[in-house]
Amino acid sequence: MFHALVAVKQVPDTTNIRIDPETGNLVREGVPAIMNPYDAHALAEAVRWKRALGGKVTIVSMGPASFGQTIREAIELGADRGVLVSDRKFAGADTLATSYVLAETIRKIHEQDPIDLIFFGKQAIDGDTAQVGPGVAVRLDLPVITYAVKIREIDLEGRRVVVERKTERWIEVIETPLPALLTCDKEIADIPFAPLPDLIRSLRYEPEMWTVEAGPVTFDPAQVGGKGSPTIVYKMGTPPLPEAGEKFNAREIGAEAAVKAALDKASATGILAAVLAQNEAAEKEARP
Amino acid sequence: MNHNDEKASFDVVVVGAGLAGSAAALIMARAGLNVALVERGQKPGGKNYFGGAIYTHAIAEVLPDFMDRYPPFERPVTEAGFWFLGEDGMVRATVQGGKLKNSPADAYTTLRASFDLWWAEQAQKEGAFIIPKTTVVDFLRDERGQVVGVMTDRPQGEIYAPVVIVCEGVNNLLTQKLGLIDHDLEPAHMALAFKQLISLPTETINARFGLPNDQHGLAVSVLGDVSLGLPGMGFVYTNKTTVSVGLGVMLDTLAEYRLKPYEVLQRYLKHPAIAPLVQGGQLLEYGGHLIPEGGWRDMPKLYTDGAMVAGDAATMVNALHWEGTNMAIIAGKLAAETAIEAHAKKDFSARVLARYEERLKEGFILRDMKQYRNFSKFLETHPQFMGTYPAFLNDALGNFFSAYGKPKKQLFSDIFSALTSRRGLFKAAGDFISMGRAVMGW
Amino acid sequence: MTARRFWVFIEQEEGKVHPVSWELLGVARYLASQVMDEAAASGDEVSVEGVLLGHNVAPIAEEAIRYGADRVYLFDDLMFEHYRTCPYYKTLAQVAKKYQPEVFLVGATTLGRDLAGGIATALRTGLTADCTQLEMGEAKGVAQKVLLATRPAFGGNILATIMCRDSRPQMSSVRPRVFPMPPYNPEAQGEIIREDVDMTEEGAMSCILEFVHEKGENVNIEYADVIVAGGRGMGTPEGFRLLKELADLMGGVVGASRPCIDAGWISYAHQVGQSGKTVRPKLYIAAGISGALQHKVGMQNSDFIIAINSDPEAPIFEVADVGIVGDLYQVIPAMIEQIKARKEALA
Ligand SMILES: Cc1cc2nc3c(=O)[nH]c(=O)nc-3n(C[C@H](O)[C@H](O)[C@H](O)COP(=O)(O)OP(=O)(O)OC[C@H]3O[C@@H](n4cnc5c(N)ncnc54)[C@H](O)[C@@H]3O)c2cc1C
Ligand SMILES: Cc1cc2nc3c(=O)[nH]c(=O)nc-3n(C[C@H](O)[C@H](O)[C@H](O)COP(=O)(O)OP(=O)(O)OC[C@H]3O[C@@H](n4cnc5c(N)ncnc54)[C@H](O)[C@@H]3O)c2cc1C
Ligand SMILES: Nc1ncnc2c1ncn2[C@@H]1O[C@H](COP(=O)(O)O)[C@@H](O)[C@H]1O
Repeated sequence: MFHALVAVKQVPDTTNIRIDPETGNLVREGVPAIMNPYDAHALAEAVRWKRALGGKVTIVSMGPASFGQTIREAIELGADRGVLVSDRKFAGADTLATSYVLAETIRKIHEQDPIDLIFFGKQAIDGDTAQVGPGVAVRLDLPVITYAVKIREIDLEGRRVVVERKTERWIEVIETPLPALLTCDKEIADIPFAPLPDLIRSLRYEPEMWTVEAGPVTFDPAQVGGKGSPTIVYKMGTPPLPEAGEKFNAREIGAEAAVKAALDKASATGILAAVLAQNEAAEKEARP
Repeated sequence: MNHNDEKASFDVVVVGAGLAGSAAALIMARAGLNVALVERGQKPGGKNYFGGAIYTHAIAEVLPDFMDRYPPFERPVTEAGFWFLGEDGMVRATVQGGKLKNSPADAYTTLRASFDLWWAEQAQKEGAFIIPKTTVVDFLRDERGQVVGVMTDRPQGEIYAPVVIVCEGVNNLLTQKLGLIDHDLEPAHMALAFKQLISLPTETINARFGLPNDQHGLAVSVLGDVSLGLPGMGFVYTNKTTVSVGLGVMLDTLAEYRLKPYEVLQRYLKHPAIAPLVQGGQLLEYGGHLIPEGGWRDMPKLYTDGAMVAGDAATMVNALHWEGTNMAIIAGKLAAETAIEAHAKKDFSARVLARYEERLKEGFILRDMKQYRNFSKFLETHPQFMGTYPAFLNDALGNFFSAYGKPKKQLFSDIFSALTSRRGLFKAAGDFISMGRAVMGW
Repeated sequence: MTARRFWVFIEQEEGKVHPVSWELLGVARYLASQVMDEAAASGDEVSVEGVLLGHNVAPIAEEAIRYGADRVYLFDDLMFEHYRTCPYYKTLAQVAKKYQPEVFLVGATTLGRDLAGGIATALRTGLTADCTQLEMGEAKGVAQKVLLATRPAFGGNILATIMCRDSRPQMSSVRPRVFPMPPYNPEAQGEIIREDVDMTEEGAMSCILEFVHEKGENVNIEYADVIVAGGRGMGTPEGFRLLKELADLMGGVVGASRPCIDAGWISYAHQVGQSGKTVRPKLYIAAGISGALQHKVGMQNSDFIIAINSDPEAPIFEVADVGIVGDLYQVIPAMIEQIKARKEALA
């Protein structure tokens, strides 16, 4: 029996985010909340292996009660159990505090029902930090493989997993003992269209609520929420709108002149030179 | 290991969580039936579009205490009527006061995304089970061909129920699959309506539309030079912090003149009488939606063994008044009552479901639609009737100005029922305007 | 008197240094300069230091000094020949515990971002990811200046400035190419400190079985440095031939807006935008693309954007660093010629 755990976060759909021009604040209302896309792909892969090997998939998420919606979506996609760790005291958590709460929660689930493989998303599209996954691995002293794009093999008897991870340069094929923690890129699996019975089950599903008072985990108050977060927001702002660049009208000055003017601008920043030099080098390498 | 063995079955399946669908689901759930309300959108209302204003008399028939349930209304309609656009100016013919002073008001402007969601939630509160993100693609039938459920687009997508109420809206694919109608609605009987939702500060809206505060709202139909001089009928609705501006053109006109809807709308929005109203606003959304105009002539058979159809799917729209939500809601309610009766009788055959049509006949819907039916016949036989438009206009305006306190809907139909032509209201409106131009020198 | 150390992780693979490492030495020097007055007052010693792991990489340590490091801590061991998360983060956490740096910068590369989270958690300190601005500045309740790290959040819609007031080191991963290369001084002097490695293969917890180099043909526009993208404005799929020619000249790849994919002009792998790939090339050339929001969100973080559009009002010009109003079928050929010329000049 294969037991996979997937950490799932609810995020605002950043592609729909609007900023209030006056206040410069996020306009959150109207912005749909979605399952962090990377987590969805990670979940899809976990479910794929569950169906192949037999077993179950447990979801863990830290956040307000509204995250229950996202856990239901996870059930729709084939997860069997969903744990939502939720407490006012967790508010204002940075990645260090988040990784603490998730690590302690996963530890408890592991006691109840030993976990073979832990799936995280590569990053959350709201924070884009990509820190929580490795953080949890460190706290649980588990091997971590980031940017996983393919699981080649899960060997439950031999207690090992073989994973492909993608870097700028190449794909590394890594073997590591179980249990292990992966942070997954979108390529790891496509998100399937859930069967109707799974959807119906998810609509009826009530996530387990774990809190500081009710337990079952006992958290160190000094390590959760704002208290447990070394980083502090110093200030927030909207990025200066890139002031529209100069325009050259080919109809007036002719294509050649317009192109020259544009390329000169690119050169001025050094970018064009960099690009061409780099390409030159690459071409040299290519030549035998 | 995967709980896919369980088979989904309910007492009734409602297709489409729009106005008609949620109304039907609510009534049946309240009566204790186990209702599945299937909606293809992420959530109810997400993709739905209308002008628009919604009529409370219909809501009250389903939810007498609707006002205590915080419906997401925008503004009560306290001023309604018509604007006639000339090249650069316009003649306003609007009503205030009288029934428009009622509270709760007869009509409220609203946005479908929030209203439909609320409407479906009321059904949910009564126990209806909403199944979102799922599209019904076909029906399940028994050996006798009686409908016994629906097939959705999902794997293992069957949902079983002895009776299905189809509230799929204007794209009547399922109605056709039921064999209740054998064709798409004809372009000549279909209006494509498209609108922009433009955000403006509440104060600006109040000032530009002459509204004392956001408890006053405007709902007008716009006739005349709205679309490159081509026939078409526009509308303007004021919401709290947005204005809905749009217009509808018959599909065949669009095709005939190769019009791009967006361009027509742009022209309309640039009209000297319209532009100042929306100037400086931020475009929030742009969308289009069909309105079935055919009325009685296009009306499908409304029921078959194990299934009924309600709302736009059954062309229950009165384009003259941009009315459809109320008919949809009432029709949904009547179909629901019929389904409840069928469950009591344990008989879901066409014979029992026929009561649905009778119920409609007793109500205002079919009567209205018949009236228009007769009328378009009259037109076909009296082409010269067109010549009498100007007279109508005089009466019309005259009527309007002497009409304070006269029920709005009734008033409109008095005056304008006479204007539906074989090719739909919009053409008529066009003739009407060009005539008006000639005679009155607009 | 205490030592205020500004640390930079020197990232190398197979003896090749990632340039961001040098950029960061420059940043560290800049940050150090911002606390000089403080240090002078309290007699503290301020230093910029590099940390380097690898096998037979001593020459890189010397390079680091020429790029401005006062000191380089070197872990030279077969164990570190190839990057692996566990041995790297554990070793770096250990050495940081030993020397107590005040600031610790890591490049926000795939490798760096994989590494930084581990170190920060092991040290139970704060880490600000993918920063684009760094300053040392005063903050309430602390005697010494703190690191003010600014980074985009919410898909770039927000800029958040973050500090790590109480715990040390103050860590940031820093986006490549946002800071300039520091001056290179061949005469520069500094010390290289060889640290001994106490880490076993068991502790490494993983082994790399193989490296797979991807074939050239499978386009990977996310990592491309140059993207020449075409839109519906090309009118025909033929347009892409032209764009490909231009892209090839610069070792770039071809991108596209969604209608081109919908029309079957080119494969989905090339789609840039909300429902396609998000890209951040050095140079993005958009030809015949109007610049709808859903496209912009996918490319507006490019370092330099050239927009070519016949409509002077096209929104793409709002995000472009430079725009050319005109017919792409005249502009692109002209550009091809001039790029060729500039390459000659370079070679
Ligand atoms: C521009 C415009 C302005 C209008 N203005 C007004 C106005 O001011 N006042 C007024 O009263 N009326 C107005 N109408 C008419 C009114 O909007 C419609 O008559 C009314 O919405 C019809 O309701 P319905 O429930 O029949 O269909 P809809 O409200 O369209 O609901 C259909 C629902 O079914 C869902 N659905 C469809 N097919 C499937 C499927 N196969 N499986 C699952 N779900 C499915 C859809 O997603 C949708 O939620 C206007 C219409 C338009 C287009
Ligand atoms: C949910 C959703 C997701 C989407 N995701 C994406 C996405 O991932 N990526 C994406 O690109 N779009 C996406 N879109 C579509 C997006 O909204 C736009 O429709 C699309 O980007 C427009 O593509 P375009 O600019 O190529 O075409 P157009 O908008 O038609 O623009 C063509 C442009 O070419 C110019 N032009 C014409 N002829 C010439 C010429 N000879 N020389 C120079 N210029 C010329 C015109 O002036 C015009 O500006 C999405 C839309 C939705 C609703
Ligand atoms: N609050 C949370 N609850 C559950 N999982 C989380 C949470 N925050 C982050 N994660 C996981 O950590 C990954 C990386 O997040 P981040 O470090 O914020 O980019 C996400 O893809 C999730 O898998």
